[in-house]
Amino acid sequence: MYTFLFILFGGMAIGCAVAMVAHRNPLYSAISLIGVFVSLACLYMMLQAPFIAAVQVIVYAGAIMVLVVFVIMLLNVEEEVRRPLSLRYLVPIGVGLAAVLTAEAAFILKLPGASRVDMLGPQPSDVGLTASIGTGLFTEYLLPFEVTSILILMALVGAITLARRTTVSRLATGADADFKPTSPAPPDAVIKSGDTEATGRAFAKLQIEQEEAALPASGGEEGTR
Amino acid sequence: MIPLSWYLALSAVLFTIGVVGVITKRNAISMFMCIELMLNAVNLTFVAFSSYFGDVTGQLFVFIVMTVAAAEAAVGLGIIIAIFRNRESLNVDEASVLRL
Repeated sequence: MYTFLFILFGGMAIGCAVAMVAHRNPLYSAISLIGVFVSLACLYMMLQAPFIAAVQVIVYAGAIMVLVVFVIMLLNVEEEVRRPLSLRYLVPIGVGLAAVLTAEAAFILKLPGASRVDMLGPQPSDVGLTASIGTGLFTEYLLPFEVTSILILMALVGAITLARRTTVSRLATGADADFKPTSPAPPDAVIKSGDTEATGRAFAKLQIEQEEAALPASGGEEGTR
Repeated sequence: MIPLSWYLALSAVLFTIGVVGVITKRNAISMFMCIELMLNAVNLTFVAFSSYFGDVTGQLFVFIVMTVAAAEAAVGLGIIIAIFRNRESLNVDEASVLRL
């Protein structure tokens, strides 16, 4: 029975992973990856780790993949274009390296010493329960836990810093009318409470100037390539 | 009863598929998802060892790995959005300079 379940969920995981790599559309890849996560959660249940299985579904399949799918939708990602001929050699190299890696793993698992590990069975214990994980996390491993919280704070600040649009906030102050933003095009005009007719006119002028400047610049860039 | 080596072999295969994806894909979001797959393969190894040796430490590590993966998702997707805003493309071959 357990063997059948393992083959079912393991096969599902490998199939979904191969589908993820094979698809060119990132949205199909994301949905295949959710399949991998769910089948791995089932395997965790078989390994008597219900807490990790629940966290796997909630955090990975729930939070991270929703974020990824949201970004795919937001950016309106097109299908992956075929790479130029000069980079086509990467695919056989990748598959060859994969074969080497799998062969190494098989070799290690077939070593004489490995059979002793197989004598072990899943220990009938309460290791995977939420209570024992919480006890371990708040007694012996308290320092890693606190370091993790600092890491999350840094990630929060970093993500906000990366994703915000800087040009809008500088324009909204209205202090310098002939302020020229750097290469990216200014975002769509947002009417702020402090805006007057003058700031709107300056913004329009700036956009026109930038479009005029962008045309020869992009042509030159094409020429250097 | 399933031998431990089956879980390890499955984990190795999943990790390898992730490596192949990172090498062959050119889309930033697809590469990101392949990295998530590799992290999950390692998590499977941790949980399998933890269960077979009756030690809780492996599952605590999985918990921390998941936290790091969530932080990585937030920052990585922020970077991807910033790249897309400046280049109108997610092809990593075109994002060859650090300057935005």
